Amino acid sequence: MKNSWIIARRELMERIKSRSFLFMAFFGPIVVLGITYSIFKLGGKEQQKWNVLIADKGQLFDNKIASREDPSITYSFINDYVEIEDFASNPKFKDFDALVEINHKIISNKAALLFYKEKPAFNMSVNIRYQVERRLEEIVATEQYKLSLRDFRSIKQPLTIGFRNVYDPYNTAVDLAGWVGLFFGAFIFLFIFLFGMTILRAVMREKSSRIVEILLATVSPKALLIGKIIGIGLSALVQLVIWLLVVSLGLYFFRQTIFIDFSDPSMLTAAMPSDYNQFVELVFDRINFVPMISVFAVFFVLGYLFYGAFFAALGAVSGSESDGQQFLIPLIALLLFALYSGYFVLMNPESSLAVVFHYLPFTSPVVVMVKFAMGYPPGSAYQLYLSAIILFVSAFLVLSLAGRLYKNGLLQYGHAVRLSTILRWLKRN
Amino acid sequence: MLLLQQVTKRFDRKMAVDEVSLTLDQGEIVGLLGPNGAGKTTLIRMINQIIYPDKGNIRFKGEIMTQEHLKYVGYLPEERGLYKNMTVEAHALFLGALRGMSKKEALKSLDFWLEKFDCLDWRKKRIETLSKGMAQKVQFICTVLHDPDLLILDEPFSGFDPLNVELIQAELIAMKKRGKTILISTHNMKSVEEICDRVALIHQSKKIVEGKVAVLQEERKTGLFGLKFSGSMIGFVNALWTGFELVDKEELGDNRFLVKVRLRGENTFEDFLKISLKEVKIEAAWEILPSMQDIFIQEVTHTTHQNETTHEK
Repeated sequence: MKNSWIIARRELMERIKSRSFLFMAFFGPIVVLGITYSIFKLGGKEQQKWNVLIADKGQLFDNKIASREDPSITYSFINDYVEIEDFASNPKFKDFDALVEINHKIISNKAALLFYKEKPAFNMSVNIRYQVERRLEEIVATEQYKLSLRDFRSIKQPLTIGFRNVYDPYNTAVDLAGWVGLFFGAFIFLFIFLFGMTILRAVMREKSSRIVEILLATVSPKALLIGKIIGIGLSALVQLVIWLLVVSLGLYFFRQTIFIDFSDPSMLTAAMPSDYNQFVELVFDRINFVPMISVFAVFFVLGYLFYGAFFAALGAVSGSESDGQQFLIPLIALLLFALYSGYFVLMNPESSLAVVFHYLPFTSPVVVMVKFAMGYPPGSAYQLYLSAIILFVSAFLVLSLAGRLYKNGLLQYGHAVRLSTILRWLKRN
Repeated sequence: MLLLQQVTKRFDRKMAVDEVSLTLDQGEIVGLLGPNGAGKTTLIRMINQIIYPDKGNIRFKGEIMTQEHLKYVGYLPEERGLYKNMTVEAHALFLGALRGMSKKEALKSLDFWLEKFDCLDWRKKRIETLSKGMAQKVQFICTVLHDPDLLILDEPFSGFDPLNVELIQAELIAMKKRGKTILISTHNMKSVEEICDRVALIHQSKKIVEGKVAVLQEERKTGLFGLKFSGSMIGFVNALWTGFELVDKEELGDNRFLVKVRLRGENTFEDFLKISLKEVKIEAAWEILPSMQDIFIQEVTHTTHQNETTHEK
């Protein structure tokens, strides 16, 4: 084990010092943050700036609107009617993007219309609606009902009846949560793929540089195999920790600055349309990150060991760099299939195939993440442990088999890999 | 130091090593000879516990050899390499750690060897920036870094220029004097003659000859003597008369000759010198011993021939 650690340490140091590692460690999370940002900004193709004209003949609005300045929307007021045709064609109005008509009936019928020249981006329409509605609320509350705004809001808050699964009374198992699980699972497989390829290349390079015989004279092939997988895995973990740190710092930063409105619960209940902020809400409030990340860590490590052994064995049996590719394709197909299985389970969580995928070591890392995010029914948490145990045992078995291939394959140079040879090596201890 | 008892290894149907026994005593250099594919590398890999014999056993200092003993062994394989993007120092520390050395010990030993090979400034260089010869020196240093009691070198001289071959040979002899045991597998017969105390010749997976270099040569001498002289060739041939047989002659120019002569009857080397002295001016005279190359070729072809006839029968 000491030798495995020495091998692992060398692998780790070699990787951490390499430029591509540093590049991936900082560039990767920035890309993730960028994607998250654009999802948050949903539909905002580019930063739109709108001039909105509010036609308010009765001066209900008192030429005032939001208490908070919104840099992307400028409101102007005109205390008169504006004909729509006029607004559309008169050069006087050419700088305005939208017209909001407010008339005296609004107090009773609580309806107003907005006319736009170009269809607003989703978040633009949300913001305008939100700001105009808030102002209207103020007017209705204070002028019509003589209520404080606070009381008005509490009255206005609708009574809702939620439909809940009896096994999941807190409604944690939302489809969207499942998507987050799939995202985590996909993350595991992205890392398995990237670092699996690293294992493959490292083993091949070791073979072609002929250092392996010197190593084998002091370390057993199994210790070498384990050391290699652990070393590269540790570098993957270091990478992952950097990713998690940068991404969570970024998310925290988003919450504190850019998306501050959306995470303020009083505003959420007030006026926001519920589907818009679901993702934001999900990321910030719904996901219980601590257990999620614990399960993620366990399946990340086990899944990595399981697949890592395949990549290492493939490297060991390959004669030359290009030679391993014929066996690489099925392996990548397996990885893709595992990803698909996660999607399948998300769509058909109760199907019997989902149960198979849940325990199958090839697919369990991603499927368990999906299932876990959706929530296990009470009393069936054992499924999680069972799947972890199956994956652990399979990883161990694959490591032993890969050890055999490793031992027999490492000292063979420049030969063609045939399935028959591999089978023979598997039999030979 | 090292004892191989009827070690046998078979790969599927092919016999790689067939009941080979060999003893290496402390403080001797043994040459492991044999044509390509004879089974030398397999034998060496078995000693290094990379593969295990099907039959027979390997003892190190009297104990059955295990992975544990490998820290007393230095191994320079024929197929050798280094991590190209590591520095010389990092490499030495890594391989030293695998052989159970502490960082301090490894650095101290590295200093010693770099100084010895006059390359202290390589320490921080990456392997990829070194020339092939330099990299080979680093490989040698990494092999002896942990001061092993048993050194196993597979083709240690390949890729070295004559100067470095001299250097490595001198180092091996010095190590031998310090009581180290060395097993060298090589095709460089000149080196075998120069530094090996004993040789074992493996052919077609069997050991066919083993013995001290001097004894092997003595056993296989053909009774030929060489003579380099200046003077009359006719006079010399007449003087040989019936007591000696002229086997080969070569004119070196300027009335100088090199001849090979076989003694006949009761005649001795001394008699030969006496009659020669009367006729010509002797420049040099010696007994022609077969070179290790001759012995190698002779034994290998002989065994191959023998095996073929047995097969035919």
